[in-house]
Formats: sequence, C-alpha cells, structure tokens
Amino acid sequence: MAINVLLVDDETSFVETLARRLTLRQFAVWQANDAETAMRILADNPTIDVVVLDVKMPGTDGLTAIKNIKRRHPMVEVILLSGHATLEASVGGMALGAFDYLLKPVRIDELVYKVEDAHRRKAIQEEKIRSLRGVTPPESNEQKT
Amino acid sequence: MTKIVQSIGGWLRSLVGPKQPEFSPEETERLSTLFRERYHSFRVLLAANERALETMAAMEQAWADTRPYGMDFVVSTATSLSVRVYRMIQHLDALAPDTYAELFERLDQIRGELDAVIQPPTPIITAPLVLPLSAIGRDDSAVVGAKMANLGEIHNVLGLEVPAGFVITAAAYGRLLDHNDLRSEIRRLIQSVEIDRPDALFALSSQLQQLITAAEVPADVRDAVAGALAAVRAESDSKNGFAVRSSAFGEDTADTSFAGLYDSQLNIHQDNLLAAYVETAASKYTPQAMVYRRQHGLRDEDTEMAVGCMAMIDASVGGVAYTAEPQDATDRRIRISAAVGLPKTVVDGRFETDLFIVDRSSGTVVDRRIAAKTTAFVLRPGEGITRQEIPGEVAGRPALTDEKAVEIAGIALRLEDHFGVAQDVEWALTSDGRVVVLQARPLHQATVTAAAGAPIAGDPLLSGGVCVSPGIAGGPVSWVHSDREALKMPEGAVLVLDYPDPRWAALLDRAAAVVAEHGGIAGHLATVAREFGVPAIFGMGSLDVLRRGEEITVDADGVAIHPGLIPGLGDGRQRRNLMAGSPVREVLGRALVHIAPLTLLDPNAPEFRPASVRTLHDITRFCHEKAVAEMFSFGSEHSFPRFAAKQLHHNVPMQWWVLNLDDGFTGEVKGKYVHLNEISCGPMHALWDGMIAVPWDGPPALSGSGLASVLFEATRNPALATPFRKPYAQRNYFMVSKNFMNLQSRFGFHFSTVETLAGDRDSENYLLFSLKGGAADIERRAARAQFIADILADKGFAMKVIEDTVTARASALPQEIVLDLVKIVGYLLMHTRQLDMIMGDQRTIDHYRSKLEGDIAGLGAG
Repeated sequence: MAINVLLVDDETSFVETLARRLTLRQFAVWQANDAETAMRILADNPTIDVVVLDVKMPGTDGLTAIKNIKRRHPMVEVILLSGHATLEASVGGMALGAFDYLLKPVRIDELVYKVEDAHRRKAIQEEKIRSLRGVTPPESNEQKT
Repeated sequence: MTKIVQSIGGWLRSLVGPKQPEFSPEETERLSTLFRERYHSFRVLLAANERALETMAAMEQAWADTRPYGMDFVVSTATSLSVRVYRMIQHLDALAPDTYAELFERLDQIRGELDAVIQPPTPIITAPLVLPLSAIGRDDSAVVGAKMANLGEIHNVLGLEVPAGFVITAAAYGRLLDHNDLRSEIRRLIQSVEIDRPDALFALSSQLQQLITAAEVPADVRDAVAGALAAVRAESDSKNGFAVRSSAFGEDTADTSFAGLYDSQLNIHQDNLLAAYVETAASKYTPQAMVYRRQHGLRDEDTEMAVGCMAMIDASVGGVAYTAEPQDATDRRIRISAAVGLPKTVVDGRFETDLFIVDRSSGTVVDRRIAAKTTAFVLRPGEGITRQEIPGEVAGRPALTDEKAVEIAGIALRLEDHFGVAQDVEWALTSDGRVVVLQARPLHQATVTAAAGAPIAGDPLLSGGVCVSPGIAGGPVSWVHSDREALKMPEGAVLVLDYPDPRWAALLDRAAAVVAEHGGIAGHLATVAREFGVPAIFGMGSLDVLRRGEEITVDADGVAIHPGLIPGLGDGRQRRNLMAGSPVREVLGRALVHIAPLTLLDPNAPEFRPASVRTLHDITRFCHEKAVAEMFSFGSEHSFPRFAAKQLHHNVPMQWWVLNLDDGFTGEVKGKYVHLNEISCGPMHALWDGMIAVPWDGPPALSGSGLASVLFEATRNPALATPFRKPYAQRNYFMVSKNFMNLQSRFGFHFSTVETLAGDRDSENYLLFSLKGGAADIERRAARAQFIADILADKGFAMKVIEDTVTARASALPQEIVLDLVKIVGYLLMHTRQLDMIMGDQRTIDHYRSKLEGDIAGLGAG
C-alpha cells in the first residue's frame, strides 16, 4: 500500500517538484503551502502517515505547526525540513516530537528513506496500541463488536 | 564489552535453565510487539550513530585539510550532528525509559557551548552611516573597508591627491539589511545551496543579488547620502559623475585582495547614486566573490559591504604601479602599466598597455615597452563610460613621459614606505598633469615556487606570453567565453580564455591552470590567480589550436603549453592553504572541542556514565554501548522463548548464540538450536564464510620472549587468569536480522565487535569492526592492533588504533561490497588470534603478513 505523505512548504515550486518525484516513487502525495492548509488537509484525510514540514514559513511556522499536528494527530509522523540550520530549532523540533530534522538541500533518496522509516515507526506504534487494547478486556470487546 | 558479554551470559543462563514460563497468546502478541518496537528503536539509534560518526569524520577531515569550506558547512554539520545525537538519546530512552535521561541535559549543555562558538559575529551598528574621506584613516577599515580607509589615510596623512568623496559605511549596509529583514533570509539561502556546483552557485548568486538590489534604502541612509553629496559638490566644481566602488571589510588587505571581484561603477550621475549603491552592495554576492570568500575561510558576516562614492576623475592617462615584480620578490624595480584614458583599460586585463620599469635607487626609467594601444575607456557625457578607438598614429605613442613615470613611481614608493609593504597602486593623470591616487593595496606576490625537477622535455604546443602566476599543472582544455560554458567547466580543467575577465575568478578554485590570449600581469584575474596559487599565462596570442577536452600541461614558469599530461606532476596543483588561520577554520576548531574527542573509552570503568560525557562523540559511544546491552537484556527481563537466543549447530569448536531481531531466521525455529541454513542474515553468512574459508593453523609457535610476555601478563592481570576454564569464556553472541548483524565475541583473551548493516540503501550501509585485548604485554598487543590496521587500511577501511584496540569502519557502500569486507573481517577474526604473542619478531611478523594477505586475496573478496 502506498505511503501517504503531506508536503508543507511555502516555496510552491519546491513542493511541486518534490511531489512529482515522490509520486513517481509510488507515494500518495498531498501538498500545502502553509500550516493552516496543512491542518485542514490532515483533518480531511485521516490516512496521511507522514508530514514533511518546512520550518520557516510565513504565518504559522513549522515549529508551531508540529505542536498543532502532534496535539490533534498524535500518530502522524512529522519530518522537519529546513533551509536554515540552527542548533536550537533543530533539537527543539526533535523535542516537539519530530521523527527527524533534515537540512535543505536534501537528496531525494535520503528523504524517501526517512519517509519510509517514519511510516514504519507509525505502523509499529499503531500495532503497539492495538496489542495493548487487545489485552484490556472491556475496551477490546468494544473494539471487536 | 565484557560487561555486555557477562550480562548476556546471565540472560542466557536464565533462558537455557530448566524452567520456561508459559505465555498466553495475548501476552505473546504483546511481547512480540514490544520487541519489534525495541528493535525499531535500536535500528534508528544505530543509523543515527552511523550518520553522526560520518559527520564527525567529515568535520575532522575539513579541519585537517586545506580544501575550502564556509560557515554553512560548520553550522549545518554541527546542526545535523546535534539532531543525530538527540535521536540516539531519544531511542536509548525508548529502550530503557528514564535510565539515561541525564543525557538530554548533557546534550543541552554541550549544544549551548557549541551555539556560543558558531554564532555569527555581531554586525557593526554603532558607526555613522556615512563618513567623508577627509574624516577617515587606516584604523577605520572595520567601518569603511580597507580600500577607503587606505585612501583616506593617503590624503589625510600623506597629503597626496585623491578624489573628493565619502563612504556609505558597513553600518549603513547593516541598516539596509535590517530595514528589509534580509539577514536571516540571506543565511537561509546560503545554507540551502551547495555552492560547489557551479550551476547552484550562479543561481544562488543571482538570487542574493536580486534580494539586495530590490531592497528599500532606509530614510536615514538616504538623508545621510544626500548630505554627503551636497558637501562634495560644494567642495569642487566638477560636473562629472561619481565612481561608486565596493570597499568591503577584508578587501585590499595583505591577506586578501578581492581584486576586481566586487562591482565598481564609473561616472554615475548623482541622481542615480542610491541605485548604484545597492547594486554595488549586492556585488558582495557575485559568484567570484562567493568562491573567493569560501577559499579564504571568510564568513559572510566578515565582509560587511561599505561603498565609496568618489568624484570621477576624467583621466587622460591611467594605470597601475607595482613597487615590485609580483613573480620575483628579489626584483624591486617599480613597474608602471599605463594606457590612454581611464585606468580601467589596464585593470581589465584585456588590452595591450605600455610598461615602464623604474629603478628605485636611481629613480630613472630603465626599460619601457610601448604597445599599440588601440582602445581607451573615456567618460560618456551623461553617465557611464565608453570605449574609444585610438587612431593608428597615436596608438603607438608612449602614454607617459619618463618624467611622469618617475613621478608616479615616487608616489608609489611613498605609499610602500608608509604602509610598510610592496604596493599595487591605481592612479589617474588629469589633463592638467596632476597625478591622483585612486586606490592603493598590498601587492600580492606569488609565494608558490616552481615545481621541482627537470624542465619539461619535448617541443611545446605553444609558447610566449607572460607568466602571471608560476607553477606547472595539467588538465583537459575548457574554453570559457560565457556563463553557460563556465557552468560546464569540469573540476581540474585548464581554463582557456580570450580575455582574463575578473568574473572568471569564480572558476579558479576548480581550475588546474589558466591561459589567456590577451592580458598581462596587472589584471585583477592575475592577482587572484597568484593568491590562489593557480599557474597562469596571459597574453599568449591565439589559442585556437586548443581543442575542448584535449589534455595539456601548462608550464607557467617556462611560459609554454605542452601536449598531454606530464607524468609525475600529481594533479599539478600547488595550492596555498588559504584556510589556515581563517575565521571559519578557527570556528570549526573551537566547535570540534565540544564534538570530537572521545573521553569515555572503557565501558567497564566507573566513569562510563551519563554524568561523565564531555563531547557529542562521548554521547554516541555511550548510547551505542548501552543500546546493544539493552537489546540483549529484553530476554532476561521477560524470559520469552520466541526471542531467546538459539545455540548455533555447527562444527567449529566454539559456542555461538544467535538472537533473531526480526527477519534473521528463514522461519519459526523451534527448540534450542538453530542451523546455519535456517539463518537468513546475509552479513552473518558472509562473516561465517570468511571464518571458515581457511583452516586455522593453531596458535603461532612462540619465541622465548613471546612466552615470557604471556606468562608475565597472566600474573599481572587477574582478568586474564585461566579464561578457557570459564563456562562462558568461549561463547559468542550474534544479533541478526536479514541485513543486520551485531557480533560480540570473546576468543580467549580477545574481545571483538563486528556490526554491519548491508541492505539496499547504500548510503545507510556500514561495517564496524573492533578488536581489543590479547594475552601478551601491552606493546605486543598494540603492535598486533597496528598490524591489523595496516592490513585493513589497504581494503578501504578508515582505521583507528588506540593502545591495543583497533577499530575499522567502512560506510555508504553497496551491499555486495560490504559483504565482501565482512568476509575479510571474518577471516581476520579467526586468524589474528594470538598473533600478539609473536609481535616481537619482525621475520615472523613479515611471514604472517604475507600469509594473511595471500589468504585474503584468495577469499575472492574486497
């Protein structure tokens, strides 16, 4: 099954190129140019697995956006992408729950690996939650019926 | 490592004991999920470790190397390293919740220290926005740039004539950036592009220049410029426009000339001064200036742009004076290049010009070479300058009389005397005969000596012209007339030009040598070629015979081009180490203090704990060691048979245990034993193949001293007492998945780790092998470590030897190559046992070395 990816970056041409290249590699791709649109797309598409999020955007920036995403969609994995390396933003972003923090320019293969790894982590987390529910009788009964 | 082996031993005892607990299907499923999650964390941690070690190696390499890099490299490597280290702690925390949480605090502290080192310098904000030339001297270079500071000094201290004018200072440039909120955008753009690629460099340059030229000049800067302009107009009745010249910090200094790399605009109408100002300020980001800064290890913030605005001198003759021969420090005669019209005709390097040589002691012209000067640059009536043809009968006349040449030489010598170093002076002669100094900077003399050895034999392809930068180098011909061709120039090519335009300085870091049909020693490109140590010959005449891609050797010392590449020249480049002592290298060095040293060496020492980590390297080492131990401890915590280690069924006289992490077995393996054919781990098979490829001859025959060394060590070191009698002393532990293997082993006195990932993602593959210990004394054990290092270094491993520990690392290789290397490691694991004991005897060492190398060659690997 294809991995569902949402790309969020205010550089339209960058997002479009990346979307094209990921689509060619059999990913299902959504695009947004700001954090607000990204939140709407996430709300409408619960199948999205991984968000690739630019750190510096006009309006809501990436670090605020990751907080919002993790609050409303805790299982979605977020990879931060930044053209401007700072130690504070990078480790800060990781502490907010990012799966990884990559610096632009990023090699497409590298990004693909990260998205695949993030997806794998999400699958494992979901499996864990399922198995924990499985040993909790009342909840598991409700789930089964 | 021993601790891990012990803990594994304890866990195994618990597993192979008589009682095995029963698990419900739900519990089995829960534990399986938990185990998979742990394995995932383990893999993420290992990948982050690998990337972190690669990044550290790249930083150390940059520090040791002469190759240029910018602050973007330092900041981005430090940042990605911090992220990797954070990931390692995060996933160790997932493996052992809260056990090592102190590492987060330690990382925070180290990160704070690193941040303080790599922060950009504070911009100048307190100086005036505009300063008149009459108010500045050489000490003001931080605010007005060295070029204008020198000019102010020349007028105000030496009393020589310079044009009236003022400087829009570095503080004004800072205002321009801040007013338009450009600083972080500029940093972001610079960091996000690899400027090693010419197409990326040209695109970035254009983007940055557009950003600045589109910026709004703040009102206070506009007002200050208007005031200064009125003052200059009040001072002189000249109706000419202004020369608008860059004067960046670091430009025109003894170490860095930036010759011709920034923009200068001539004869600008006063109404257009602000537009010319932003364009000149934007020329901070010409491709050639960006390459130059990188070569010299200058930070973006080290070169804040000041811009000089000077009343234009309508020169009847102009040129350049050098107070010494740039090629030859012993020739101290003054060389004056002169052309009709503005000095641009000379510094462009495109036209033939007159040369006057003045002897400094007698003050007389001792030589003059008069060229046919067919072109002059003159002022255009409205704005700008224009080219003018010089009629034939005038073209051949000397541009200067001997008297004027001597007068100019005298001025140049006064400047040399005042500034204390040989000078490169740009001057203009007015129609009424006054000499005006336009610019003076230290003369860049070639420091590279000619290549040693015999002169190049055989007939040259071409000869003639003038050596503007000495040396011999070869490469394929790359003609460059346009940006499009510049983008295609391969690394290490010989740059072939018709005119030595300074903008091609952007290519000098990639060029082996430069040759040009026109031009001479006084051009800007010649200056930069000398600074970079790139051999160059200009003014060679037609180079039409040189075909693109054809290999040639440029002998600048012999002013000749030879066909083909001359063997034995290496790559021929004799570059100066411009990075030494540079601000960027200094920052990298200070950053590495918090990154690279490994102070946590012994995992069994009491100091091996989070509170003791000093560097990012320590954290990676600690996390890796603990993660391996934590993976094993899962079994002992849960006594869970599906993920218990199986004993390997085989015919090698040692005990091997295998823990399947994920897909390391071909299917469900019941019972206590696993057969090799039930294991699907590629790296383990490769290792095993290497181990059994050649039968072991048994322990080497010991000399008397070797035996004595072993006996002495055994009495001194209680840890080594009778290891063979211990029940688990010969046990070895594999953790495997399909593409991953971690082996912790102990053969007698020898402890080793082999860890490898060999999957289909080349960039993530790696192989780590470390071996420590031995039964002999420390000198012999250390010699054995070095012996192994020498063998593996030939196979493409990066090696490190510390005392008796040898560590080999290879990474980012295709799967099949990694597996070949694993096979070699498997062989060495079996065949270097006990070799420490024979390390005193050179003949035996040589014997074993040739035997081992022969065997390795026969493995069909590597």
